[in-house]
Amino acid sequence: MRHHTSRAARALAGLGALAAATLVVTGCGPDITGGGSTPDADRLQAPTEKNPSGEITIWDRSGDLFEVFEAAIDDFNEVYPDITVNHVAIDIDARLQNTLITGTDVPDGVFLDDAKVGGFAEFLWDLSDVLAPYTDEIAPQKLDVNTVDGGIYGVPFDLDPGLLFYNATALEAAGVDATTIETYDDLIEAARAYKKAVPSSGPIHIEQSPFLGQLQLDMYANQLGTSIADADGQVRLESPEFEQILTWLDNVQKDGLGTRAEYLSPTDIGELENGNEVFYPWAIWFDFAPQQLLAETSGDWRAMELPSWEDGGARSGAMGGASFVLPREGENSGLAWLFYQFLMFDEAGYTPVWGPNDVYPDGLNTSIPSYIPAADPAKPLFAPLKALGGQDLWAVATEAGAEIPGTAPIPTWWAGAVDYLGNNLQRMYDGDMTPDEVLTQSTADIQKNLIDRR
Amino acid sequence: MTALPATRSAVPAPRRRWGSTGIRRRLAPYVFVLPFVAVFLAFSVYPLIFTARLSFTNWRGTGAAEWVGWGNYTYLLTSPGFWQSLGNSAVLWLLIVPIQLAVGVVIAVLLNSAKLRMRGVYRVAFIVPFVTPLVAVAQIWVVLFDQKYGAVNAFLGLFGLPDIGWLTTSEWAKPTLALLFLWKTTGFIVIILLSGLQSIDGNLYEAAALDGASRTRQLWSITVPLLRRTILFAVVLQTLAVFQMFAEPFVVTQGGPYNSTTTAGYYLYNHITRADLGTGAANSFLLVILVMALSLLFVRLLRAKD
Amino acid sequence: MSATITPTPPDELVERADTGSEGEPRRRRGRGAGLHIGSHAFLGVLLVAFLAPVVWAVLSAFKPANDIIRSPLAFDVGAFTLDNYISMFEDVPIAHGFLNTGIVLVFKGAITLFFAPLAAYAFAKYSFPGKNLIFGTVLLTLMLPTIVLIIPLLLEMKTLGWVNTYQALILPGSVDAFAIFWMRQVIAAVPDELLDAARMDGCGEFGIFWRVIVPVIRPGLAGLAVLTIMNIYNDFVWPVVIASSERMATLQVVLSTLAQNITGNRIGADYATVTGELLAASSVALIPLLVLFIVLQRHFINGILAGSVKG
Repeated sequence: MRHHTSRAARALAGLGALAAATLVVTGCGPDITGGGSTPDADRLQAPTEKNPSGEITIWDRSGDLFEVFEAAIDDFNEVYPDITVNHVAIDIDARLQNTLITGTDVPDGVFLDDAKVGGFAEFLWDLSDVLAPYTDEIAPQKLDVNTVDGGIYGVPFDLDPGLLFYNATALEAAGVDATTIETYDDLIEAARAYKKAVPSSGPIHIEQSPFLGQLQLDMYANQLGTSIADADGQVRLESPEFEQILTWLDNVQKDGLGTRAEYLSPTDIGELENGNEVFYPWAIWFDFAPQQLLAETSGDWRAMELPSWEDGGARSGAMGGASFVLPREGENSGLAWLFYQFLMFDEAGYTPVWGPNDVYPDGLNTSIPSYIPAADPAKPLFAPLKALGGQDLWAVATEAGAEIPGTAPIPTWWAGAVDYLGNNLQRMYDGDMTPDEVLTQSTADIQKNLIDRR
Repeated sequence: MTALPATRSAVPAPRRRWGSTGIRRRLAPYVFVLPFVAVFLAFSVYPLIFTARLSFTNWRGTGAAEWVGWGNYTYLLTSPGFWQSLGNSAVLWLLIVPIQLAVGVVIAVLLNSAKLRMRGVYRVAFIVPFVTPLVAVAQIWVVLFDQKYGAVNAFLGLFGLPDIGWLTTSEWAKPTLALLFLWKTTGFIVIILLSGLQSIDGNLYEAAALDGASRTRQLWSITVPLLRRTILFAVVLQTLAVFQMFAEPFVVTQGGPYNSTTTAGYYLYNHITRADLGTGAANSFLLVILVMALSLLFVRLLRAKD
Repeated sequence: MSATITPTPPDELVERADTGSEGEPRRRRGRGAGLHIGSHAFLGVLLVAFLAPVVWAVLSAFKPANDIIRSPLAFDVGAFTLDNYISMFEDVPIAHGFLNTGIVLVFKGAITLFFAPLAAYAFAKYSFPGKNLIFGTVLLTLMLPTIVLIIPLLLEMKTLGWVNTYQALILPGSVDAFAIFWMRQVIAAVPDELLDAARMDGCGEFGIFWRVIVPVIRPGLAGLAVLTIMNIYNDFVWPVVIASSERMATLQVVLSTLAQNITGNRIGADYATVTGELLAASSVALIPLLVLFIVLQRHFINGILAGSVKG
């Protein structure tokens, strides 16, 4: 009892004293007091020798995409036979940060979500010089998201244009012609008409995951030429554009015109299959749902450009996407650049990625290249989709992609903002916050917790 | 057979005979704990000290680390997110530990019974969740508890009960997560309790049975008190586990909805993954202090009955 | 009274008492049988609840990957396929996972199982200056969330040149604090008379440990072995960070690499295939541990402790 606590207290005190003493005495540990290196020295230059050789370590997420890249390595080696590619499937989210901070076993190239590039910029090569020949022909949005303080820190991989997926069969049966939709006002009217015919429905998908909801919000904002943060990393939520978007979303929910579910959760899939949910404004990668998950309505779905927010406005915005980054501490970053250059800008490279291959016999159709010459509407890389009733998704997606306006770089605190903006958006759907409150409160919270603390 | 003294006094022996072994006896404990201490010094002390230094800076993994004094600590202690995470962990503790100990003791007692057939089968079955990778069962959890199409709500619907948003509302996400944690770790606790049961002298039960005590009475008057030490041990362990819990919220709810399942461990994890290393370091020390205080409290409470 | 410490399973004794005493056996036996049905029902329900999700995972691994997501609760045996297993064996380095997990288990397990009870013995049966301080560090180790120490530990490994090596997987935390904590408990319950008697017999300090303590706590040791094995097996925070190549990946690293595509935000067209592979990999990963447990449990859940005082 008292004996125990006094012993324990003594032990704690002893421990504390020991720790304090060592703290003071020891200066051990890595040097965390030094400054960073100068930016200009960090521009990667391409190797100049005729036949470069060496070994590079490339990190990718495991899964089908890994297999696709793995196959592309053979094509790469036909052009560069002496570069050995050590292709590793790895848990990038769990490993990359620690690896870069401690400088242990740093890879030469890493596949990274666009939203995360900004956060690692200090560890990465500035690719402005090597990308210079191509920048005019890369989708502006992809360049913008990779740009930090004027430098470009990722090789853009895929462009993920937002599209409006709709259940053509169900809509036709209800007498609604989705192809006439041009603005979001039109969309809400179409939803009303559908709901009249099918009273139990909630025609438009409303995203319940805070993260994906915020990502989708970015897509809508992109259409209007804005984003959550401006080029200086300042929050610009309190603007007429965001008000318009949130008011529209709020109306959809309040008028009972939406099905609120997490992306492809059992509820979502169930409502998509039974015709209660017929409009899905989402990135192109939703298309894997009709292909693989929606057994009953496969073939009923079609894709079209997103509606615009005003007459004649942009008919698409980007949602998601990834790039390849090259850590400065990689051993053979120059060679890694050659690999990505081949993959993204050489026809022999991007065709096996998006075109028919062993993994995807009809091609990879969940994204399109961000390199505009590769994303030519007249020269499809992937085949028409049976699940979309044989529709030529390539044409729709590439034309939509061409409309995507430029944007500002994604702020380093984007993921952290989900706690505030993502959650507040959900509260709005719950009816606990108004659109204005969401914007004001989120701005304040982000400023206080994420920006000011840096 | 020699009758042994009932008290703990040392058996007297001529000092001469023990000579050098006296020194050996005094050195022995140090030698015995040396391996642990060596490992601890090598792989825990340095990181600990580094982390302590870090907690007074705003290091983000790169560049200079500026000294911010107690800034990180004050930020945390005044941050609603921090207190919410502690509150979440506390509620989860209440939902998990009492139930787990109660059910665990009953299971352990039953499994200890020689009369129970298929004992082996039960014992294996109860440990299966503990050795199953969480990611494998996270999916079915989400499916079962889905609001519209999940089996749980379907079952409730049979009784006319409304659909509950198990994982989509902040009220129900914690119990649902608690259930997952209970499911996963109870087998572990049962093993510990079983081991504790082994050391209870069976003669005590015989005596009680002869006195006419029912099985339940025996459970309360003999088993539980004698298991007290083991139960205390299990409580301390699970308290640590609940506060550090991170895998379950990470895989199933990502800390939501509205941070209702952001445990102290998950909150800490977020700091680290967002490269807010200074705050993360401060956070971890606060957590350690809290857990230490709790453990001391338990020790005091449960030992007080001695 | 003899100094044997042989707890007998309580129920055996109750039974003996049941049949032994006069005038009451029928009532007692009846009540005993009634309780027993209740107990079986209770255990039965729990059994189903504990096993059902795992059975789901194992069976689902045999479904076509898309069906796992589309109709999770429907099992069409006719459509069962080995595709998930095949693609798992092709794409996932599961063999490496097993090998590395096995190596870490053997070495780290051996280190803990030997040195932890030894240290626990010192804490339980000796008093020496600094004892509380050092035991405090044991508790501290338990209370510190691993995630916090990752970066400095990784830096240390880098300095030592131990990144992506077996030493790095095995040594940090090799003398497990939980094991010490538990064994101290177990050993403290061993009567001091036994130790004193052994000392009188001329046993050295280590000899007391090896020849008296260890046999007496054998069931506890076996229990510790089981739990240590499981904890090492389940450990994923550190291994994910330190094993930077396929060659060194443990099972949990392999699984977490797969799972990254699914947890949290399901942005990925291969969501279904990866789920299938993950379930297949998990099923395979489950088996050795289960077998191990089945084999080992007979050793520690026995009801009979060996141990007696030599007269």
